[in-house]
Amino acid sequence: MEDMNLNAPHSMGTTIIGVTYAGGVILGADSRTSTGMYVANRASDKITQLDDNIYLCRSGSAADTQIISDYVRYFLHQHTIQQGQPATVKVASNLIRLLSYQNKSMLQAGMIVGGWDKHEGGQIYSIPLGGTILKQPFAIGGSGSSYLYGFFDQAWKEEMTKEEAESLVVKAVSLAIARDGASGGVVRTVTINADGVTRKFYPGDSLPLWHDEVVAHNSFLDILAGSSSPEPMST
Amino acid sequence: MVTAMDGSSMSSSADGLVNLEMDSQRTLYPYVTGSSVLGIKYKDGILLASDTGGSYGSTLRFKGIERIKVIGKHSLLGASGEISDFQEILKYLDELILYDNMWDDGNSLGPKEVHNYLTRVMYNRRNKFDPLWNSLVLAGVKNGKKHLGVVTMLGVHYEDNHVSTGFGNHLAVPILRKEWREDLTFEEAVKILEKCLTVLLYRDRSSINKFQIAKITEEGATIYPPYSLKTFWEFAAFKEPSKNAQGSW
Repeated sequence: MEDMNLNAPHSMGTTIIGVTYAGGVILGADSRTSTGMYVANRASDKITQLDDNIYLCRSGSAADTQIISDYVRYFLHQHTIQQGQPATVKVASNLIRLLSYQNKSMLQAGMIVGGWDKHEGGQIYSIPLGGTILKQPFAIGGSGSSYLYGFFDQAWKEEMTKEEAESLVVKAVSLAIARDGASGGVVRTVTINADGVTRKFYPGDSLPLWHDEVVAHNSFLDILAGSSSPEPMST
Repeated sequence: MVTAMDGSSMSSSADGLVNLEMDSQRTLYPYVTGSSVLGIKYKDGILLASDTGGSYGSTLRFKGIERIKVIGKHSLLGASGEISDFQEILKYLDELILYDNMWDDGNSLGPKEVHNYLTRVMYNRRNKFDPLWNSLVLAGVKNGKKHLGVVTMLGVHYEDNHVSTGFGNHLAVPILRKEWREDLTFEEAVKILEKCLTVLLYRDRSSINKFQIAKITEEGATIYPPYSLKTFWEFAAFKEPSKNAQGSW
């Protein structure tokens, strides 16, 4: 095997998603952080809190996105104290954009900001490489997103219910994990609406099986025990 | 290559010489890009047209980007190239227009002045090897005088009766040169632009079938909602490519 390049910078191959629904937003992500070919963290949390009502999905360089989110969390906290009311999703997104744009030659960070505030309700802002900012009804990012453009073109609808939106996000991340080597692990979702924030966790085995994937077992011996002859291999 | 916390970096090449490089901020290459913008003068004013796409390399990633915006009372600005730099230019212009309004003297910046301002911004950034990666089309009407001009990322600037950026330079300009006349009606101008947009749709990989037309006259500016154009595929040679010869490219 080639050199695993264990000193490569930590990068989150990643699949990240943000969708709006009839009452708020749902953010979703995989949990794989890789150093070259090695999986440095198989259960990372790529959905980071910026404020009580605003979260950030991170893709690209782990170091870059961590430091950006730390700075913006710090600025937002000050801003909230100075304003005397919670920061808006628009303000948080613009702060991310400023850091991204002004340091574009040095950063490798593709991010999705999602949150809920009382002025504009649920909002999703996409901030790709370069520091462009775009408000969108849904956004996808990271290397795994390549496999989801067609899926969302077909499956996305305006004004979904919370349950429809959640299952869309989980299905999408799971499909991306199936095909993108840089995405994997568990699916994490964060739902943000007027009532607050809910985190959910979907371990690998709870996800649906896609093409050419087979059911998981504890051991081959269980399969042997369960039938008179082993399951034949299919061509 | 070693990069310090202040952004400065040093590298050594094979012959042992050390090269000090101050990398403050440079757009080395664009990430999210818009394709051509077209502009044409007609009887009552000027029309601009562009598609609403934002490409990310070869992926047609964003399909709802408005690349033509109203500036002040008298101008329209269309941009191709890096969208983040266009968004920054819009902020510079917001500030410019704000200061202009603060004078509260009844005067307002016309398209010629805005074009000149943008030229200086783009050229000065080019001189610092840190360009705003855009080709801009500035259109406007003030006191009956029509203005249509271009500024590129190198600071190249010019005015004409019809302009184009990006692929449009190669595909649309020949059409515009042939079909433009003084005192076109609104309908005639739209038809010419749509001819150009269709050719760009056929032949420019980064174009998408979702367009916006914008109009500026002495009365004011209008940016029309996005729409799509029909395309033609019913050539006999398209339908039966192998009819007169084996295979077809």
